[in-house]
Amino acid sequence: MRSPNECYNSDLQKLMSAIEESKSEIRVPKVTPARVSPSILTRVLNLLSSVKFGVAMLVLLVIASMIGMLVMQQNVEGFDKYYAELTPSQKLLGSALGFFDIYHVWYFNALMMVLSLNIVLASIDRFPKAWTYISRKKLDASATWLRGQEQSATFEMRDAGRDVLAGKIAAAYRTQGFKPTVTEKGARTFVFGERGAWNRLGAYAVHVALLTIFTGGFLTAQFGRTGQMPLKPGMTSNEMSETVFNLDQLTQATTPIPFDVTCTDIEQKLLKKEGPITADNTLDWLTRIKIKDEYGERDAVVQLNRPYDYRGYRFFQASFIANGKARNIKLELTPEKGGAPLTVSIPRDGSTLLPDGTKIDYADFYADFSMAGGKPQTQSGEYNNPAARLAVTPPTGGQPQRAFAFATALPEGAPIGAPIAGYKFKLAEYEKVPDAHILSVQKDPGSSIFYLGGGLLGLTLSAVFFFSHQRVWTLVEERGDGEYEVVIGGNTNRNALGFGERFKRLVSVITGKPQEVSDNE
Amino acid sequence: MSEVLNQQSVINTPGLKLPDSTIASYLPAILAVVGSVLMSLLRIQLGGERFIGDGPLIMLSLFCYLGAAVFFLTNLYAPSSTASRLGLWFTTGGVFMNLSAWGVRWVNAHDRELEIITRQGGEMPWLWRYIPFANLYDLSIAFAFGAGITTLIIAHRKSMRFIGAVSLPIASLILLLAVFIGNEFINLPPILDSYWRPIHVGTASISYGVALVCFAAAILYLLKDGVKPEAMAIWSAIFALSVFATISRGSVLTRATYTASTFLGIDASARMSLPLRTDIPLVGWLLVLSGALLVGVLIAFGVYLSKQDAGARRWGHWMLKASLVAQAAAIVSLVSQVKGMANAELLARLNPGQYARFGAFLADKQGVPAERIAQLSPAQFEQAASTWIQSEGARLYLSLNANPVELAALITAFAGTLFVIIFSFRTETLRNSIPSAEKLDSIVYRTATVAFAGLAMLLITGAIWANESWGRYWGWDSKETGAFVAWLTYAGFLHSRIARGWTGRRSAYFAIVAFMLVIFTYLGVSYLLPGLHSYA
Repeated sequence: MRSPNECYNSDLQKLMSAIEESKSEIRVPKVTPARVSPSILTRVLNLLSSVKFGVAMLVLLVIASMIGMLVMQQNVEGFDKYYAELTPSQKLLGSALGFFDIYHVWYFNALMMVLSLNIVLASIDRFPKAWTYISRKKLDASATWLRGQEQSATFEMRDAGRDVLAGKIAAAYRTQGFKPTVTEKGARTFVFGERGAWNRLGAYAVHVALLTIFTGGFLTAQFGRTGQMPLKPGMTSNEMSETVFNLDQLTQATTPIPFDVTCTDIEQKLLKKEGPITADNTLDWLTRIKIKDEYGERDAVVQLNRPYDYRGYRFFQASFIANGKARNIKLELTPEKGGAPLTVSIPRDGSTLLPDGTKIDYADFYADFSMAGGKPQTQSGEYNNPAARLAVTPPTGGQPQRAFAFATALPEGAPIGAPIAGYKFKLAEYEKVPDAHILSVQKDPGSSIFYLGGGLLGLTLSAVFFFSHQRVWTLVEERGDGEYEVVIGGNTNRNALGFGERFKRLVSVITGKPQEVSDNE
Repeated sequence: MSEVLNQQSVINTPGLKLPDSTIASYLPAILAVVGSVLMSLLRIQLGGERFIGDGPLIMLSLFCYLGAAVFFLTNLYAPSSTASRLGLWFTTGGVFMNLSAWGVRWVNAHDRELEIITRQGGEMPWLWRYIPFANLYDLSIAFAFGAGITTLIIAHRKSMRFIGAVSLPIASLILLLAVFIGNEFINLPPILDSYWRPIHVGTASISYGVALVCFAAAILYLLKDGVKPEAMAIWSAIFALSVFATISRGSVLTRATYTASTFLGIDASARMSLPLRTDIPLVGWLLVLSGALLVGVLIAFGVYLSKQDAGARRWGHWMLKASLVAQAAAIVSLVSQVKGMANAELLARLNPGQYARFGAFLADKQGVPAERIAQLSPAQFEQAASTWIQSEGARLYLSLNANPVELAALITAFAGTLFVIIFSFRTETLRNSIPSAEKLDSIVYRTATVAFAGLAMLLITGAIWANESWGRYWGWDSKETGAFVAWLTYAGFLHSRIARGWTGRRSAYFAIVAFMLVIFTYLGVSYLLPGLHSYA
């Protein structure tokens, strides 16, 4: 426990040392007071490069982002309902201030640009000082200054010579990861050691990473395109449709893409096979596509969370049209003339040839079959009354005849269940699949830069916050008769507690005595 | 040969008066984590029927956290190495139970998936599909664990254990919220079936936990720095009044009525929360009484702080304690009535004033197109709601799980009031027991830097995942904007230290605001705002 007087002396020491260190380390050229007031440009630059201004920009960005969170944005599902419930004055005010699309209004973009400029200018302004700080090392220090450091220790030692003792201290530095430099000035020897000096530059690297992210975001916002492409087997497309939001009005715009995409198959893996084709009963959606352009043809699969990339375009699973269809059907065919039933499987839009030469085409599927005006239709997208429509061509040829295969048993003698081309058809099994998948197509020239910035940010933040610049100085001064006074002091820019323990270990190595451990509890 | 002749002074700062940080000092944290891994392995070995589930483990964890907080708090008022040690081991037990609950839930989720999928003849999905990071319950367990393990790691230094006195009660509130949300498994939305989910949500949990400890250190800093408990009482009263004003669709302060949401039982294992609320007698009046007392607290402490009026101070404390009693009575009454109210009484207490709104909800749920809904009159909605209640009303019931955020908010308001009262008791003794303001400021700074780095990783991993799943890495979705705002606030915290030298009290205020934004991201966005993260 230190007395108030000791505390006061310690504080005074620290103050004096800080003055001394500021004299020796910063080495700022003397500036004579300006007689004329700085120009407007200088003032603006000073403002733009100040960290205070940066903090103010951050606060504004927080406020704008909070507004965007609390006021529903026009591209969010359900905005039309939200907008319809607003009063005319709320609509007018919100539209005028751009609150319904705040992340794309001019002042938000301006805010981001000014913040980026602030990061650049503040970094340019401060980097030289930081560079000087690590390149022009402070190799010596007075005993007073050392005693005023975060950590310090003073003791007397006997050794064969000052240089020998300094060599041993330097060796002790190495054991604790400090890179030592020994200098002599008259009767005094200084051993300076440091670790993690590069940490002083970490903040600049973080800002470079942030600027990289902002650049990626800017490129995405300016040159990126996102659209949708509905696909069902057999369909080919070479364009994507983009939704353009204007408050509660939505319009579609199409953008061509430089290759043809043909859907060859769609599949939906269900959690419970007897369940519906809803999202909460789905494990995965798969769309098999064939891409054709001047470079040739290639097959690809687009899965949920596994996008497919081609020529700068990325294809994702986005949505589906939940009108129940069947990817494969399994038919049970009972010959009209008697005999063992046949079982055949046919893929969507496919066909099969029976041993007797009868050809069966799988024409369509109705999840909830009904007839309206003599035409088959589905009453809903759910599998309430599944039926497959077939086109049956007899071995003798001629026009294909329409037939239906139902999953449920038909009443005896029902006309719709009458034999066609010598067979009665029953839908034995079917694999559920939606009518179409909707792929999201993205062309984003900024994403790679964004990823680069993100990776850099992760690395640099780790480098900045989980490492520190630790410095230690030892002053060895001869007292006569082979006795020396040793004063050690050190500081760190981060992790004071960890540094304190390292310092204690260093002192232990030098003195050969373990330091006393006391807990302040 | 070197020889030390005289060691005049060694190490002149308090920082060195600390025990060495050794692997052994981290033993409680290591034991908690290793123990919970073994617990999960044991669950795999013994099977689910004979093993404790995640629900009871959470209750045990809650008990341990609260026990540890009591010991740490006792240690501040009456320093004792036994209390400190017990606090540490209770914290260890709490973290062990907390992580075990999560691990056991993971194994249980595996068994559930195995039963559903393999019964269908499907292939067993990969390990990460059923990792418990699927909804707010899972996130809350992990969040509380993040806070618990951070506290335990910081507590490896004996002199830092006091942090648990505040951080662990807050972690307990998070666990309590998890209890109220309920531990039913959900069918994982397919979009979440990605290996980025554990990376992203795991980062969120730990970052949120560290931010919680930062907040706790900031509160203790303010206390140490001389902020009067009366000033804290003003803030806690404002918070409690905000809670009373916003819960139950604003009916507490406008009609002195508290209404609770109802559940619709769908089958033995499924239920649905409805925007149909039933009156809970007495609770509204008790909350109004508590609110009135808190308004009195605001006036009395306002007068005391501005005029140093001792009489106003005395009245303020009296009203604060009375408000605490009223809040406790309201919570007990609410819990007991929600648990005990019969279906007939529930139906009798439904206020028809909400039928028009509920009718619109029903129409939307039944797939009526928006244009058609817009054409229907309130009377038609009321009629539809009334008809529906007559036919389906028997399936309605009350549950604590139907109002998790409201209940947790009420308990948080209660806890805030309680802590102010605790801080008011022998405040100077408490202040003297808390280590130096510099040390607290250092903890605030260090935890804030870790939270800042963690939130940055959260944003980056979220962006990568979003780009893989939604086709864009940033879309200003509510949750990602919320995390971004919290991150910006921590960035402001760090830069204000550089630019304006804002250490100490102002820095602590910054840390408190940043944590509020973290909580808003964690809860507010999920429950209040629309967006792609509505499941968590």
